[in-house]
Amino acid sequence: MPNAETASPAVISLHGLRRDFKKLRAVDGLTLEIASGELFGLVGPDGAGKTTTLRLLAGLLDITDGSARVAGYDLKSRAEAVKRRIGYMAQRFSLYAELSVQENLDFFAEMYDVPAGVRAGRMERLLDFAGLSAFRQRRAGKLSGGMQKKLALACTLIHEPEILLLDEPTTGVDPIARREFWNILTDLHLRGVTIVVSTPYMDEADRCSRVGLMYAGRLVACAPPRAIRESLGVDMVIVHTGDWRAARRVIAALPGVREVQTYGEALHVLVDDGKRRRKDISRALKRAKIACRNIRVSPPRMEEAFISMIRTLETGAAAPPPAETA
Amino acid sequence: MKHILAVARKEFRHIVRDRSTLFLVLFTPTLLLVFMAYALTADIHHVAIAVLDYDRSPAARAFIQQITAGDDLDLYTQAVSFDELDRLLLEGKIKAAVVLAPGFSRSLLTLKGVPLQVIIDGTEPESGAFAVDHIARRAEAFVAQALGAQLEARGLDAAALTPLDVRVRAWFNPGLKPRNDIIPGLISIVMGMPALSVALAIAHEREHGTLEQLMATPIGRAELMIGKILPYLLVGLVNVALIPALAISLFHISLNGSFALFFALSAVFLFSILGMGVLIGVLVRTQAAALALSFLLIFYPGFFLTGIFFPLASMPEEARMEAMFLPGTPYAAITRGIFLPAVGLDVLWPYVAMLIFQGAVFTGLAALFFRKKLG
Repeated sequence: MPNAETASPAVISLHGLRRDFKKLRAVDGLTLEIASGELFGLVGPDGAGKTTTLRLLAGLLDITDGSARVAGYDLKSRAEAVKRRIGYMAQRFSLYAELSVQENLDFFAEMYDVPAGVRAGRMERLLDFAGLSAFRQRRAGKLSGGMQKKLALACTLIHEPEILLLDEPTTGVDPIARREFWNILTDLHLRGVTIVVSTPYMDEADRCSRVGLMYAGRLVACAPPRAIRESLGVDMVIVHTGDWRAARRVIAALPGVREVQTYGEALHVLVDDGKRRRKDISRALKRAKIACRNIRVSPPRMEEAFISMIRTLETGAAAPPPAETA
Repeated sequence: MKHILAVARKEFRHIVRDRSTLFLVLFTPTLLLVFMAYALTADIHHVAIAVLDYDRSPAARAFIQQITAGDDLDLYTQAVSFDELDRLLLEGKIKAAVVLAPGFSRSLLTLKGVPLQVIIDGTEPESGAFAVDHIARRAEAFVAQALGAQLEARGLDAAALTPLDVRVRAWFNPGLKPRNDIIPGLISIVMGMPALSVALAIAHEREHGTLEQLMATPIGRAELMIGKILPYLLVGLVNVALIPALAISLFHISLNGSFALFFALSAVFLFSILGMGVLIGVLVRTQAAALALSFLLIFYPGFFLTGIFFPLASMPEEARMEAMFLPGTPYAAITRGIFLPAVGLDVLWPYVAMLIFQGAVFTGLAALFFRKKLG
């Protein structure tokens, strides 16, 4: 079935997907289509069901209800066939610590029946790609966190899967390694690999072609990052003042202000209408005799959009009251 | 097949590179065997006794000297009262006491019954029984000697009077040395260690998340099970080679049968017990649980149900049925058979068939219970 936004066929299609654990409905009626070549970001608070969703897609969990097709196979009946077509990277480091970089790659090449003829060349490329060529004899357990993630990615790429499922691949990795990892993902995205990646980092969500926001096992929003940011109906006013503590109190009490966040001595004010509230804020600060060094309107970032959406959901879909946040 | 080899190679590297695993599979079986063999077969020597001599005759002194000669019984003290004996026994200073009644030498001379009392510490029946047995034998010899002198004085030949000559001869284990019997049995217990290792290895993979990654690959369930068993079988065979050498050099047991047969049948046993280990590893989530279940299913029944210490024939029907499901039972019979009466396959084949059957069942169940799913 063709996807509405891109003309590419869907390689993942979920319909009413549900997964119950003993006392918990982890995934609750997920309906979603992901087209070939998409870089799909899965975001949501801890416990929203992101990991369960990815494990279901990887055929690692039984489906309680609903249906799922991945890479052209029904996940319920053909999970083993699906496994040959996808690459799955678990959230925890899950390679063999006692084996070297090379031995880990060899092992997974064997597991995925990579033909001997193409194996050596492919491994060379992957090691190069992951920047691990110099470390091939090192034990996986002795690699830095970032290198372990890149090795894990290389191992999931050894059979050249058409779909990649990555569960928080950059959690606990330093910013440079994180950037390098995303450069690799972008590369793969350019080559047409379909990628589903869950992430707690909103700047990463911004790099996806489409973002799905999960909350309590449901998909509550699903759109390109820009659309998500705009759909919020909020603008951000950034205020630099002499006395940010006093300014914070004054601004939080104004109508139309949803939230005031402190960034050092700058205040990020989420408002319903940027232009209108900017004037209100200036006026209020002048009245309170607080010097205002700089005030400007800026589109909200993914981070604000995310937090704002979660707040709305937590308060039961009612309009969020103006709240102060440190 | 290639998957099996890849898993086996990976597992083998893990064994060799992880020191605790290497120690567990390579040295604990032999170490355990040495400890247990020494502990279980230690001979009793130097049991402390006290003597309360009310007779105080030369004959009584000669008797006391005779029973305490050698290093089996040691005379702790000559007591003067029953109260003293009581105290010595309570304090554990002595394990047994001998009381000579006032008429001891007179009875001996007049060929009446000789009054002799032996008191033992019932809380330590092993030492006590040993002392009683020893004292009785020495007393018998002493009395016979004394009697002989009497008879000779009356012109009779003591030897001609000996009515019966009973000699016990134990087959396969001359002198009934317990080691000969116990050590081959113990082998079946200590060779359970590789099974514990494989159970731990699977639980370790689950705990460390590597199993999750493995489940995401197209590997077959039976391939994984067999690939796990192979390297532990290989390392287990190193022990199988070491054990006869140890039994012969340390405990002076002779391997009467064929070493090649022992080696081959041990490999069959390892396959069977490792199947059990894999099954345990598949059923549990953590290494702690794997350890507990291994002790429950491999080691405790190994001691009590496989007929090493308690003969199978004396067990109730249910226990015997249960014992049939333990690889240790046929293997104990095999090791004893090869070490002691040197029997061959013509006798042992039913046990071998049993082992193969058990191994196939365990491995099959493990592959069946292992689902490539989390949660």
